[in-house]
Amino acid sequence: MRRKLFGAIVAICIGWFQAEAFTDANVMTDPPVVSNQTNATLSCNLTNPPSPIKGHYWTRNGKIIDKSDSTSDSAYIEYRIEKVDYHYAGIYECVFKSEPQANATIEVKALPHVVAYKHSENANEKDKAALVCVSHGYPLPTDWNWFKVNEVGGKDPIVNGTNNDKYEIKNTPNKTTLYVKDLNIEEDMGVYECHGTSDVGKAQDKIQLRVRSQLAALWPFLGIVAEVIILVTIIFIYEKKRKPDEITDDDDSGAAPLKSSTATNHQDKNVRQRNSN
Amino acid sequence: MEKPQERPETQQSSPQMAAPDGGWGWVVVGSLFVTSALVFGLIRSLGVFFVEFVQYFDESAQAVSWITSIGLAMQQLMSPIAAAACNVYGARPVVMMGGFLSGLGFILASQAKSLLHLYMTMGFTSGLGWALVFTPTVASVMQYFTMRRSLAMGLGFTGVGLASFAFSPLFQYLVEVYAWRGALLLLGGLSFNMIACGALIRPLGNPKVVEKTENSTNLNRCSFLRSRIYECFELSLLSHRGFLTYAVAITFFNAGYFIPYVHLVAHSRNIDFTEYQAAFVISVTGVADIVGRVASGWASDLGKMRMPHMLVVWTGLLGLFLMLIPAAASYPGLLVVSLAYGFCAGAMTPLAFAVVPEIVGIERVLGALGLVQLIESVGGLLGAPLSGWLKDYTGTYTASFITAGSFIVLGMLVTMTLPYFWSCTAPLPPSPSNRKSQDCSIEDGLLKATSPDSVCETVPRGGYTA
Repeated sequence: MRRKLFGAIVAICIGWFQAEAFTDANVMTDPPVVSNQTNATLSCNLTNPPSPIKGHYWTRNGKIIDKSDSTSDSAYIEYRIEKVDYHYAGIYECVFKSEPQANATIEVKALPHVVAYKHSENANEKDKAALVCVSHGYPLPTDWNWFKVNEVGGKDPIVNGTNNDKYEIKNTPNKTTLYVKDLNIEEDMGVYECHGTSDVGKAQDKIQLRVRSQLAALWPFLGIVAEVIILVTIIFIYEKKRKPDEITDDDDSGAAPLKSSTATNHQDKNVRQRNSN
Repeated sequence: MEKPQERPETQQSSPQMAAPDGGWGWVVVGSLFVTSALVFGLIRSLGVFFVEFVQYFDESAQAVSWITSIGLAMQQLMSPIAAAACNVYGARPVVMMGGFLSGLGFILASQAKSLLHLYMTMGFTSGLGWALVFTPTVASVMQYFTMRRSLAMGLGFTGVGLASFAFSPLFQYLVEVYAWRGALLLLGGLSFNMIACGALIRPLGNPKVVEKTENSTNLNRCSFLRSRIYECFELSLLSHRGFLTYAVAITFFNAGYFIPYVHLVAHSRNIDFTEYQAAFVISVTGVADIVGRVASGWASDLGKMRMPHMLVVWTGLLGLFLMLIPAAASYPGLLVVSLAYGFCAGAMTPLAFAVVPEIVGIERVLGALGLVQLIESVGGLLGAPLSGWLKDYTGTYTASFITAGSFIVLGMLVTMTLPYFWSCTAPLPPSPSNRKSQDCSIEDGLLKATSPDSVCETVPRGGYTA
């Protein structure tokens, strides 16, 4: 009984190895990782194709690259990247259309591209300001740092939670937000820098923060309210002055003036003599 | 201005019969210009604030876009209430209150501490204010004009287009100088100007319902209240075939009308035009829209063609050009089609409103406008998400433009089923069965006089109510 079981297991293992060997199509990539290069040529070589190759295509970050779809049956394919920047960086995959599909991935790394959402921010004093930097490319920054540029041009680092909870930093790989709370016109105005660091390198951008007084908007607002009040007053006074008798008639009932005018018309037709004086 | 000898006598019905067709009417048109600018022009330019809100409150763009959705929905859903209030108090106090509420909403929004506050202030409060301002102002312009109604409406609505141009850079500047809180405060002040616009709307007579209730004091409480509500909200329209047909047509128009405004930019960027080219397409469309409004209003008042027929022409062309937009592959081609689309979209707008008195009669125009905006809000709520889903599903904007065009064409076909559509002369407006034949001549004077007086005697009472 035990011998039969052992025999069955060996048969299964042999069968499995054979199947593995049969479908063990290997895709060799060159280079496996692109880093620190201005341009690159990616290549994939399919050894031991499991079936005739009907074609191939390339994808970047999961999306098929335009015009990379081809029906050639070549086992060796190349893709050329003229400029390795954040736009073309990502995880590339070469896919051979065979049964089953064979594919491999190549990482193309570039310096992260860090850009501020808005380069000029305006906020009210005693309120909070939100400064946002976003990043594109691959790999995304693993570390974000914020600095404030002081008068002499040096950079003061900003740390989360210090200084009575004045600063709060929220980070995700592709976005960093610096909240500056309880704004003060003198101290908090200025240029802030966001730095994103990945294993390839570092990139940064700057944001100008302006702090506005809360009362600044109040004066124009009061001016507009005064203008509206004056306009409405003028409109009503003008109306009262222009047609004082018609206004008093309207107060009784709308039908009255029209009734009386048509009534007068009827009287005019019938009793002309009386009204002609 | 007022020519009393041309106005027929009235008894207990509708004293709002004097239609000066000029004079102070143009001041009311100016009022409509300013209010449509401060309502719809303002709404269209709020994009600047949304960028700030997304950053400050750390919310998604979709959550922030609910602010305008709530505001617009309130403006349309609360329209019947605005109309009812007008029927009781007259247009002037209602519009002034609406202006105050709109401004108040923005002032409170400037102190918002969360997105929910913005929903309640900019959304509900200002939205209610906008409802109280818009419908009564439109109805007032209609009461002031008969012969030149379409032109007056067209001129009044140009405020929207011009404001969209002027407000975007202005709001950007305000946010830079005062930060978004200060800018919202100033927007509130700006909206207060609608109070002055409301003050300009001189009443032409007493409000409808005040007249009629003088005669119903002998009814008991419950049926009195019911009849009050029935009259205030003009619910008799719900059994009026012409009105219902029109409401369905407008709902279809509404479903298709706003989609291109939302998707034209994205579509231009999608087919690889630059930001500036895309912005230029929008500007061209906007200018054509403004010109179309005035041109169509003026042309319609010439009286060569009946208003429903003109409406069908413009909406047919609009649907056609909408469906052609995805077919325009080159930049000049897209510009030309967008220009034509903008012109037709603008041309359709004053007619869509001005045709209402012809269908339901000038007395019920207030209630009609209120109810139709409530009903058409369904179209608006359907149209935008549907087209967004179509874009996500198909990947391009072609399907959504074609859908928008089909909605418009569908609305056009429904318009063709309006009663008296196929006759060459304007029919008499409807008169409820308890009216005397004198009312026939009242409303005859109000319509473009294309039918001779003798028709009044021969047409059976209750013309439209088939």
